[in-house]
Amino acid sequence: MNWSIERKLPLLVSILLLGVAIVQLTIGYGEVRQASRALADKRLPLATKVLADLFQTGQGRARITALAKDPAITAFLGSHGRQGRDAALAAMHRITTDTATNAGLELRDFSGRLLLRTGRFMAADSVLVSPGKDSARYGPLVRQDTTLFIALAAATGVGDQRAGEHTGSTGGIVQQVTRVNLSKRTRSMLTGLAGGDVILLLGNATGDPWTDFAGIVPAPPANVRMSLTPVRYERGEMMRASAAPVPGTPWMVVAQLPSRLVAAPARSYLITMAPIALLIVLAGALLAWWGSRRLMTPLGVVARAAEAIAGGDLTQRVLVDRRDEIGRLATSFNTMAEQVSRSHERLESQVAQRTKALESTNAELEAFSYSVSHDLRAPLRAIHGFARILLEDHKAQLDPEPQRLLGIIDQNTRRMGQLIDDLLAFSRLGRTEITARQVDMQELARAAADEIRHAEAARNGTLSIEVGRLPPAHGDRALLRQVMSNLLQNAVKFTRERAEARVEVGSRPDGDSTVYFVKDNGAGFDPRYSAKLFGVFQRLHSTERFDGTGVGLAIVKRIIERHGGRVWAEGQVDQGATFSFTLPAKEL
Amino acid sequence: MDQHGVEILLVEDNPNDAELTLRALKQRNLANQVRLCRDGAEAVDFFSDGAGPVPKVVLLDLKLPKVDGLEVLRRLKQDERTKAIPIVVLTSSREEPDIERAYALGANSYIVKPVDFDAFARAVSELGLYWLLLNHPPR
Repeated sequence: MNWSIERKLPLLVSILLLGVAIVQLTIGYGEVRQASRALADKRLPLATKVLADLFQTGQGRARITALAKDPAITAFLGSHGRQGRDAALAAMHRITTDTATNAGLELRDFSGRLLLRTGRFMAADSVLVSPGKDSARYGPLVRQDTTLFIALAAATGVGDQRAGEHTGSTGGIVQQVTRVNLSKRTRSMLTGLAGGDVILLLGNATGDPWTDFAGIVPAPPANVRMSLTPVRYERGEMMRASAAPVPGTPWMVVAQLPSRLVAAPARSYLITMAPIALLIVLAGALLAWWGSRRLMTPLGVVARAAEAIAGGDLTQRVLVDRRDEIGRLATSFNTMAEQVSRSHERLESQVAQRTKALESTNAELEAFSYSVSHDLRAPLRAIHGFARILLEDHKAQLDPEPQRLLGIIDQNTRRMGQLIDDLLAFSRLGRTEITARQVDMQELARAAADEIRHAEAARNGTLSIEVGRLPPAHGDRALLRQVMSNLLQNAVKFTRERAEARVEVGSRPDGDSTVYFVKDNGAGFDPRYSAKLFGVFQRLHSTERFDGTGVGLAIVKRIIERHGGRVWAEGQVDQGATFSFTLPAKEL
Repeated sequence: MDQHGVEILLVEDNPNDAELTLRALKQRNLANQVRLCRDGAEAVDFFSDGAGPVPKVVLLDLKLPKVDGLEVLRRLKQDERTKAIPIVVLTSSREEPDIERAYALGANSYIVKPVDFDAFARAVSELGLYWLLLNHPPR
């Protein structure tokens, strides 16, 4: 993604802050959770202990023990229920009025037969507790429908009464049956003792029935009942529970807390801290955004100015009023831009100067060649013309020697005229513009060959010009025509001494481009001087043997080089010559 | 020279070229009715009174004193009375700009004077023959 630093920096900072926040929250959550579990694990056994202590009522037991030894009771039993009934009832009644309103007292013989009863309710017959020997003993909790009973029994009687032995002895059982007051109030009262949120359960160590003091509940699983350390188990939801026995009874108490409550502080920590962390992240992102803006805006100004300068607007400067690194950057940028602009101006003015100088030189050159063309040829024409007139009109008055001398004048002025023409043509080449297009080289070579054959019709010996397959080229048609024409003329000229002159025009591929060549079987040249062939007025043969001004190949070279191509010659003396050139594949 | 017989107006400042031209025309018997102007102003004056004879062809050099050849050409071709007169530019210059401008101004031919007298004589006499004998100007 191609984001600017101005965007990337705040994003990076935000991600970093978010990461820190997440780690912080996770660790904090874990620690709070652990702490609150430890607290729960400390609280739960404490609650069970409080509850166990509450039920370990030594007072009730002492009272029943005392009742069992009450003389009125023993007397009543001793008489086998025949005497002292009222006294025994009175003794029993004393206790029921003293104690809780929902307790009942029973006096039974060892076979379980009910002898006496006081109290406000009738416990079921099934509630029978095997009494303790010397003191009262609590029996297991007994459930009847929705009611829970606690029975406390003590053996009474004289001498060696044996529990369970149905003798005709004078012993019996004093049993107190208490109805446990199951109500929401009881429950809230008890849970209040343990701190409100702890659920307290009471029940038999061996199993049902169990109560939460508001109603009968299923017994917790055995592992919970028997465990002395806090454990987890499921009861509707996950619970953390701790159990403890109630001393002197077959009961257990369990204090439990829903895991949800144990975890509550951790959750509330999360709920409190998460928005704060989010706020910090947001604030950090905002700060980073502001900071990066403050940092990047001036950099952006510098960058835009640099782009503008790169695009050619050298007047761009930046306005950054700061003293830090960015301020320095802006200052040096402005200095640099100033220098670039100044050197650019200098360069421009130099170019303008040079262009002007070049233009004036060009104009001078043009004027020069114009005057060469015009003024040099006029006197030459006069010399030639009048020399001819002299020869034609006054031949009779002239001796052979003046006639010969006039002939030399004639020849040389003619030659001079040719030289001037060639020179002008050559210099004009440097100035003409090249209009490049596709050129059919084969057609061009054929036309040039035809023209030359025609011109050479009167020559001694045979002349064959063969034009092979020539691929098209890209260039200026007129100029390439001149190249072909000059090369062919050259070849034809230097084969003039041959009885069978052969000239071949052909091509061969050379990488991407094509090499065109003109090959002859003429006089050839000394390869040591091959470099001189293409110079202006350079000739390797005498004028008597081969005519010409020495401009033709120079023109060829200039045209090919102006096309961006290359021209060269190969040959040996008297073994012919090959002139080759290449043209660039497409653009010039 | 009698103006009424003028068939060729030769505008040429170089006396040698003028002589050679006249000689070439003479060889073809075309020199009798030639009028020679030594500079451009003279050529312009020749036509300025409007009453003068109308030559069959004007042979015009480009490089002339006072009024140069191209200017003479421009004036003649702009004037309704003279624009039908064939004008042959006969000059030493074979510079492309001269050739282009001459044709742009309405020149009927552009002949470069060869240095070779024979070629020169041939060119002059041929063009004289063409314009005088073969060409049919509008009447």
